[in-house]
Amino acid sequence: MKKLLSVLLVLCLLAPAAVLADDVLNVYNWGEYIDKQVLTNFQKEYGVKVNYSLFSSNEEMYTKLLSNASYDVIIPSDYMIERLIKENKLQPLDKGIVTDLDSLVDGVKNLPYDPDNTYSAPYLWQSVGILYDSTKIDPAVVEEKGWDIFLDSEYSGHAYMYDSERDAFMVAFKALGYSANTENADEIEAAYNWLREMDKAIHPSYVTDEVIDAMINGEKWLALVYSGDAAYIISENEDMAYCAPKQGTNVAVDAMVIPANASNPELANKFIAYILQPENSAMISEEVGYASPNADVLAELSGPGGAYEGNSAYVPRTGYEKDELFHDNETLKKQLSELWIKVKLHE
Amino acid sequence: MKSFFRMTYPYILWIAVFIVAPMVMILLYALTRTGNSTLTFQFTLENFARFFSDATFMRVLLTSLRIALLTTVFCLLIGYPAAFFISRLSERRQTMMVLLLTLPMWINMLLKTYAWRGILLNFDLASEFKVFIGMVYDFLPYMIIQIHTSIAKMDGNLLTAAYDLGANKWKTFLKVILPLSVPGIISGITLVFLPAVSSFVIPKLLGGGDYVLIGNLIEIYFLTAGDWNFGSAISLIMALIIIASMWLTRKLDRNAQEE
Amino acid sequence: MERKKSRWSFLSNGYLVLVLLFIYLPIFYVVLFSFNESKSLTNFTGFSLRWYENMFNDETMLQSIYTTVLTAVIATVVSTVVGTVAAIGLSKAKPLVRNLILEVNNLPVMNPDIVTAIGLMLLFISTKVQLSLTTLILAHISFCIPYVILTVMPKLRQLDDNVAEAALDLGATPVQALVKVILPQIYPAIFSGALIAFSMSFDDFVISFFTAGVGINNISMYVYSMKRYNPSVNALSTLIVVVVTLILIAANVIPRIKDKKTKKEED
Repeated sequence: MKKLLSVLLVLCLLAPAAVLADDVLNVYNWGEYIDKQVLTNFQKEYGVKVNYSLFSSNEEMYTKLLSNASYDVIIPSDYMIERLIKENKLQPLDKGIVTDLDSLVDGVKNLPYDPDNTYSAPYLWQSVGILYDSTKIDPAVVEEKGWDIFLDSEYSGHAYMYDSERDAFMVAFKALGYSANTENADEIEAAYNWLREMDKAIHPSYVTDEVIDAMINGEKWLALVYSGDAAYIISENEDMAYCAPKQGTNVAVDAMVIPANASNPELANKFIAYILQPENSAMISEEVGYASPNADVLAELSGPGGAYEGNSAYVPRTGYEKDELFHDNETLKKQLSELWIKVKLHE
Repeated sequence: MKSFFRMTYPYILWIAVFIVAPMVMILLYALTRTGNSTLTFQFTLENFARFFSDATFMRVLLTSLRIALLTTVFCLLIGYPAAFFISRLSERRQTMMVLLLTLPMWINMLLKTYAWRGILLNFDLASEFKVFIGMVYDFLPYMIIQIHTSIAKMDGNLLTAAYDLGANKWKTFLKVILPLSVPGIISGITLVFLPAVSSFVIPKLLGGGDYVLIGNLIEIYFLTAGDWNFGSAISLIMALIIIASMWLTRKLDRNAQEE
Repeated sequence: MERKKSRWSFLSNGYLVLVLLFIYLPIFYVVLFSFNESKSLTNFTGFSLRWYENMFNDETMLQSIYTTVLTAVIATVVSTVVGTVAAIGLSKAKPLVRNLILEVNNLPVMNPDIVTAIGLMLLFISTKVQLSLTTLILAHISFCIPYVILTVMPKLRQLDDNVAEAALDLGATPVQALVKVILPQIYPAIFSGALIAFSMSFDDFVISFFTAGVGINNISMYVYSMKRYNPSVNALSTLIVVVVTLILIAANVIPRIKDKKTKKEED
């Protein structure tokens, strides 16, 4: 019995080691955020095995990293990359291998979180906006009101609010004319009150990714969404339209980084270079609806004959001074998440 | 018999590492302040004070207890007659029924909950009601099987004796079957109530973001807000409530059996 | 009287059918929509096998099935062996020691999954153990053992102590007494303990979510991290339904056939 036990224990200790014996690349990405064919092609071309894991929030990913898990490529969002750089958890990209960065759109490179793209290469990007049913709501009204449309009780019971404290507070901050990164107590209080008013006025359903299927089915008139999801929804339901409010919004970049403790950094750099190649970036962007960082790909997909031709959500707005990136701020995030629970519970 | 007891040594080591140590870790985090490393402990009770002084958290706690209680009551109301009817079937059909009830328990809970989400999308229901349906659904088979086991174990002669002594069907049920099935009811309640209090996947998938239960709070503090100390304190509070109610039910069970 | 009885059984059978319908509703739903042509979860637009095709081409999904099964098998075998051995040892221990250990053993059963999960995660992280498939399996073993002990223990208490003692008196070694005398008597309880362990491990999400390492996803984790609903998951569920049905039928039919055979031989 004991022998059997020890054999088994040895087996389970060896199991992960056996996987490492091959040339393996550990990639950690958001769920349903890639064209699987790209992974298959990469494995074939480089004769390696890609071990692909999924996370559903930046914080979940961060928790996993704290446990010393060793990934080769991770694809977190901008503010999380800022934190990882601050905490020395990343290693610089090998610019001898990752060379395609010059051909990227201006709006996504050399951003404050990583000024020279020393550590990160953009994967996909997006902004946050209002998705609405154009057969129910006049586009002129949405343009006019911007975020304040979420305070209009006319739409009571017809709206989805994205269940994420930072996105929801961003809406309130922008509607009130503040910075999305404000730490000012009065401004936070004002935004909290704005959101409570929103909760009372339109009784939204608080959702995350369910919003995608629901809006494709036209279940409600109005939703706070990421532009990438909006592009996908519009491509499935032509009644839907997208608006990035004039009060300004959040622009977010998800970028590829290599953790300091990666076990295969060379292959990781090759993988990043591979993803940056226009044809691969195009496949991914077309599949998921989020914008490619590559200018040519953006033009191609949104141009005549492209998958997102005439799709108002596909290309995020750039160069607008009221649009902002999130900065990393753990205390703010904790504070907002506690207030957000109270908004949702109708306190 | 000493040689037999020696067989438990590896297991004692195991529970020390994998059961006791994790609980100690949670206690440690719950009693310390955010941001300090494991080297410089700064003990504090502020995490607990924060929980009990905030009306929101207390409301979440009460909602969780209410929905768990409601789920348990409905599982019992639906499950008891079902278990009783099953026990009246022929032995072959009983096995068949138990099998039919066990089968869905093997299908991944998340997958079943996603299916309910699809079904419930067709109806405009309050989120609490959706969560309630999902919970009753998930836990009902456990209740039925527990009660059925306790009824099926009963000695058939007891029932014959009751009839012989002139008891009618109702009397037999009230005086013989129901009291004897109490242990089954109690273990059924335990199997439903405990996991229902702490469940966080069902409320999240069916209730939407504005339906926050205590399990969701823990998840939010660990994964979104990144406040492990407070998250640990909430975990501990929940664990204590559950262990206390468990202890109480077991005590009731013992009293019932002594009678 | 006769009529009353039939009306009664009509009502009770009707009730059972309703309960079964409720329990099988989402399963029918999943099976139906696994053959849906479109992505929709509310409208059935036409028959197609594309989600099955997608599933078999989706390496991450296949990998998650492999991880789930591997974890469940190892966790079941180890926890059944360790749990049974520990239960036998405990049954011979002094009541005070036994009750104390059983109390601790009960902790993971009573504790909410999420508390167990977080405790294990904090333990691994603070001892700098890298999360991996091994930590996932260790976590599964540790929440499965208590269930095995809880199932085997009551059966052991029903055993006549004297039989084992007699075996020892007759010169059997403790191991012989264990294998030849005790185990055969508690075999059914061990089997049902193993079944419970397997289904607990197979179904687990919360504990796996917090303790699995790099590149390790089980089915639940895969489903949970989906950004958009991937209908291949319906195909996967259908597959699991079919396999589980076959296994349960086999587990119930084979012993019956064996019984019949032995009966015939006895005749």
